[in-house]
Amino acid sequence: MSFFKRSKSSASGASPAAAKKKEEAVIPPTPIQLLVQDAPQRTDGSDKFWGYENFGNTCYCNSMLQCLYYSKQFREAVINYPKKSLLPGAPNGAINTNAKLARISTEPAAPNGKPKVGAGQPAPLARRGSTPASAATPPNPTKPEDKDSPEAKKKAALALGPMLNVEIPNSKNYNMDESLFSAMKDLFESVVASDSRTGVVSPQRFVEVLKMKNELFRSQMHQDAHEFFNYVLNEVIENVEDHAKAANHNKINESTSHLETASTADSAKAVSTASESTAVLNTSWVHDLFEGALTSETKCLTCENVSRRDEPFLDLSIDLEKHSSVTSCLRNFSASEMLCERNKFHCDVCGGLQEAEKRMKIKRLPKVLALHLKRFKYMEELGRHQKLFHRVVYPYHLRLFNTTDDAEDPDRLYELYAVIIHIGGGPYHGHYVAIIKSEEHGWLLYDDEMVEPVDKSFVRNFFGDKPGLACAYVLFYQETTLEAVERENLMDEERAAAKKAKLFNKTDVKADIKRKPSKEKVNGHVNGHVIPVPVEEVPDVAPQEGPRTPTLGPQPKTPTGLPPVPAIPTTYLAAKPVTPELTSPVSPVKSKKEREREQKEEKAREKEREKQAKKEEKEREREAKQKSKEEKENGVSHGLGRFRPASIGKKPFGFKQIVEKEREKEPVPPIPTNAQQLGGGDASTTTTQTATSTPSLLQSPFPASSTATNGSDNRNSFYERQMNGSTTHKEEKKPKEKEEKHHRASKMLRKKLSILG
Amino acid sequence: MAMFVLPPPPRYPPTGFSLGSPYAMGGAPMPVIETSNTIAHPTGPEFSFHTGEGQYTLREDIHLATPPPHPSETPITSPNPLAIQPAPPSAGTRISTIVIKTPPGTDRTSQLYRNSVLANGDPEAESSEPRTSVSTEEDSTDGGSKSGTDTAGAASTVATSMTHLMSDNKFGGENASLAPAPAKDNKKRKPKNNIQKSNSSFVSRVIMHEALTKKLQETGASEDLFVFANINRAYHWLNLSAKQNKQESLSKVLFTKSHPICHDVNHVTKGATHVDIVMGFSTGDIVWFEPMSNKYSRLNKNGAINNSAVLDVQWIPGSDNLFLAGHADGSLIVYDKEKEDAPFVPEEFLEEGDTQKKHMSGFFAAKSVNSRIQKFNPVAYWNVAKQAINAFAFSPDHKHLAVVSEDGRLCIINILKEELLDVFNSYYGGLLCVCWSPDGRYILTGGQDDLISIWSFADRRIVARCSGHHSWVTSVAFDPWRCDPRTYRFGSVGEDGRLLLWDFSVGMLSRPKAKAPRGSVSSGNNGAGRMKADGQPAGRLRSESVISKVDDDGVTYHPVEPRARTSNLPAIMSKVIDVDPLCQLEFREDCIITTCREGHIKTWDRPQSSGLSVVPEST
Repeated sequence: MSFFKRSKSSASGASPAAAKKKEEAVIPPTPIQLLVQDAPQRTDGSDKFWGYENFGNTCYCNSMLQCLYYSKQFREAVINYPKKSLLPGAPNGAINTNAKLARISTEPAAPNGKPKVGAGQPAPLARRGSTPASAATPPNPTKPEDKDSPEAKKKAALALGPMLNVEIPNSKNYNMDESLFSAMKDLFESVVASDSRTGVVSPQRFVEVLKMKNELFRSQMHQDAHEFFNYVLNEVIENVEDHAKAANHNKINESTSHLETASTADSAKAVSTASESTAVLNTSWVHDLFEGALTSETKCLTCENVSRRDEPFLDLSIDLEKHSSVTSCLRNFSASEMLCERNKFHCDVCGGLQEAEKRMKIKRLPKVLALHLKRFKYMEELGRHQKLFHRVVYPYHLRLFNTTDDAEDPDRLYELYAVIIHIGGGPYHGHYVAIIKSEEHGWLLYDDEMVEPVDKSFVRNFFGDKPGLACAYVLFYQETTLEAVERENLMDEERAAAKKAKLFNKTDVKADIKRKPSKEKVNGHVNGHVIPVPVEEVPDVAPQEGPRTPTLGPQPKTPTGLPPVPAIPTTYLAAKPVTPELTSPVSPVKSKKEREREQKEEKAREKEREKQAKKEEKEREREAKQKSKEEKENGVSHGLGRFRPASIGKKPFGFKQIVEKEREKEPVPPIPTNAQQLGGGDASTTTTQTATSTPSLLQSPFPASSTATNGSDNRNSFYERQMNGSTTHKEEKKPKEKEEKHHRASKMLRKKLSILG
Repeated sequence: MAMFVLPPPPRYPPTGFSLGSPYAMGGAPMPVIETSNTIAHPTGPEFSFHTGEGQYTLREDIHLATPPPHPSETPITSPNPLAIQPAPPSAGTRISTIVIKTPPGTDRTSQLYRNSVLANGDPEAESSEPRTSVSTEEDSTDGGSKSGTDTAGAASTVATSMTHLMSDNKFGGENASLAPAPAKDNKKRKPKNNIQKSNSSFVSRVIMHEALTKKLQETGASEDLFVFANINRAYHWLNLSAKQNKQESLSKVLFTKSHPICHDVNHVTKGATHVDIVMGFSTGDIVWFEPMSNKYSRLNKNGAINNSAVLDVQWIPGSDNLFLAGHADGSLIVYDKEKEDAPFVPEEFLEEGDTQKKHMSGFFAAKSVNSRIQKFNPVAYWNVAKQAINAFAFSPDHKHLAVVSEDGRLCIINILKEELLDVFNSYYGGLLCVCWSPDGRYILTGGQDDLISIWSFADRRIVARCSGHHSWVTSVAFDPWRCDPRTYRFGSVGEDGRLLLWDFSVGMLSRPKAKAPRGSVSSGNNGAGRMKADGQPAGRLRSESVISKVDDDGVTYHPVEPRARTSNLPAIMSKVIDVDPLCQLEFREDCIITTCREGHIKTWDRPQSSGLSVVPEST
């Protein structure tokens, strides 16, 4: 929705930089904005998707913080810990927080992408409308390959804002000394309390505290995310316990006054407030979540006596084996090990060092199971650590095999909810990102400042054997039940169905825009456009605009309440579906050689085709007839005929015709119920077709933003045309078919040039 | 055995093409040369494995050449590991095998039955056509496999009589509009387009062996084991019975962007001059291909009916024309190879109240096979799972279908009534493969829990879990030549590159460690189990503790049995037989065939000596 607002403001804000602003209006909402724009906001912060700013090699910290934040139980525990905190969790938290958030400044990023530091005044959070146009323009629009690079995406995220500078410690309000815990709590609370669903957090203070407390993390060096995880958890445990001790000590004297400060707690919470004296002492929540217990069973081979020793763990570090699974690695973890020779076991029963058999089993299963895959192995012959690129598969669900016989709930089902990925060739450098499952919006990729929805299958790209040196490094499994999983599947399905229905409506919008390329205002959904559709597919067509605006909540509403569709240069949007073959397969990303090769093949095919031309034509005609017949049979008639240039087949076959012919041969399915329609029946965008589940695909309200790929292609070609100095503006007024040809011709020209050059 | 090893064909890119990422690293230009397949005969202890019956040794290792990418497959120049474009589903090499012998031999049911088992639950049914079959010298087989043969024979007699009984009861048999048009001159219909002369953007090119016609004429001389195998965007046709150069493809079809993922040969219509193949593609497209005449037709063109990838495809047993495809969106669709596509609109609109219920089971027939509108494809359309259907298998009596999906479910469907009967769950993770025992009593599944689960069809419960793999299990199959009434032999392969063999009999199952009493309750809370295929009433060994839910449709949902209450079966043999993850396992009378993701097809000879007879290892 922010997109609406932004483009609206730019369209109405008749500033001197209008031309530039127009460009800005074209920028579609980011995938993550699209993802949340229609969903009602939750109060627990589980659907706030904020990136974290990188202060130079702090990606280990960012990705781990994200994993911790999206553990529902951990987040809530952190927020609720000193009970007297006035801050969120409560449904009306947002009202209270405005005053509280004085320490948080929200600044749109300066054009150089650096946040303005030190602004301490309270500022309204949503100020994207006033974002400078230059900042919002994606960097290097002429180089399409750059646009998809992580760097460019991060810059764009920074530029888009809002920025949340968490730099003033709030620990006093928690009645705590400043610690890593309080800094983390500050971070989590600011995100939960923010009015915006997306943005970039600057965890400045957290990093400062981290560097202050531990010299290990003081350097600018690459750090180990797993070490950091361990450190943070232990630190949090310590901080909380220290605080509890202190609080306990002062309780008798101060508890009453504390209760008064906590007066905003409503009567419903009175009970919990009253029992605060004991609640304060509850410091075991980190243990409750992450801690499990291992039993090491050692069996003396001399006297057969089995001695057991329990030890707690916060995570399990497992050795890796080539072509194995996490399950198998966990089995190996518990495989018995012989203690012999220099490594004998001191048996208390028979006395002295004896040979023994030792195995580790899990006695108590943690709620959140953190599995550290030991990818960095010390190679003795090299004298240093080396990264293992073994293929280790991990399932979305897991149970533990290596439990003791007396373990409670040994068949506990876990679900994968977060993966930390290490990208790089070795342990001393590289980059960390996190992929985390949200409660309602599927999987998301967190790469420092950038947050992006990804397909569920994306999670499986990091088994370790794919190019790009990216491997899963830490896996987070949380406990669940089969029923919960089934419920979730059901919800997913319903959402998918809802999205499908929505998409259907959106396609109508698109059709409308195409039909009326004038700058006249188009109120998306009705506009006299009638398509007979299956009844189930069109739930609340008209009221859709209605409920959406309220979800904007804090953001200023657009005066008219209309989506600013006219601000988009509709002509080239409309041209998109008509030129599918050109936009995607022949992308300008290709190297010169590839293009050459392709042309050769194209020529060879051309010859062959000339022979077939007539036959082809007949078949096509027959197919077209059949199609229309089928359409009638199904009671669906679309104006899809306009996808077919009428003149095909009458001219001698040239390159252009072949491209057209290729497209023609594949009949356009008449019912636009799926994502395929967004691609305009394009046979070549197969990847997008298969990805109907991609949220970004299904939610897109405008053709310009239909998909990440299509959308960018679209824009790319636009930029290119500008770059080539072709008469873009004139072009836009021409009928789209002509434009298409021109476009194609310019493409050909470029191709030839590239061959010559 | 050849004493030299040919250098392997170059691989593009270095990390392997079929890993699901068709892009080179570093944007290096990829070679465009077409390489040919290689064959190797390595020997040594690492190329053999022992079981009770003797030593299996590697006969040959055919390595299919991975084709270079099509020019239109834009290689990504910057290998951004975080690129979020979803990669199209890809699959390792899978094979479909068929034995052709001319002139047609006598119809040997047992042999046919076996073939049907080999074809992974794709048994042949009664067919009026003169059928080619393999008639090998069964008498000369050693005593060991004879016991297996007898079993298979006996079982198949049952199956055959069953087929007789249900000949009217054939899938879709009640629907007059599905009755096949009488074929002219008893000639088998071929697909309409010539694949060589095709100018479709779907097919890139076809490379035929120069001596193909000569080779095909020779096929009459002996029986031929044809193997069809996919790798990347190529589809190979090999003759494994060839005396020499068996690694050379008889023909090879290269597709453009779509990759063939699964395929199946029709055992009903096969003949010396005719083989019907159906292939499912990563883009959802389906191709009906007749390799002898090089003709093909496309179905579900550009996903006109369903635009998700086809992950498994099989001919419906006994049908000339119908086949079943499992799609990545959880739909099972019956197509007719000769019908045109029509955009699919569910015929059965669900009412509001209905939705909830249907959602519960997740199964409903959006189009029934008994629908009268049968002019176009699809013939039937069932929504089965909420996630991808990874595999399915027809029961030996052709009445039931076992479907496994990515959400970890095993669904048992009565295909004649189009009813979902049972829903079982994996221990955890998705299920990847499924097969039936030759007698139809047991179902095996393998999945992402690294386990093979044995399910009793009649008792509707889990029998045992088999652990031994170090990674996901990608293929399971029974070895009908080593099954007898008491003991079943089956094998499995997985992503760990291992082949495991298992002997299973109900009696030898180790009791689970928990002391939960296993009373023999004659009927469960949901009534008696179903009647067994052989008429024996089921329902014994039902544990009271199994509380299954039954919904209004009569679908039974079985809970996951705790580990402590389930028997665990150890493997009798485990061996790493490939450096790459394995894809498929197939038992044949004289050998075991395994395939891997990188295009190796390995044939393992069964033990030679006839002295070692099989002793069923049951107690």
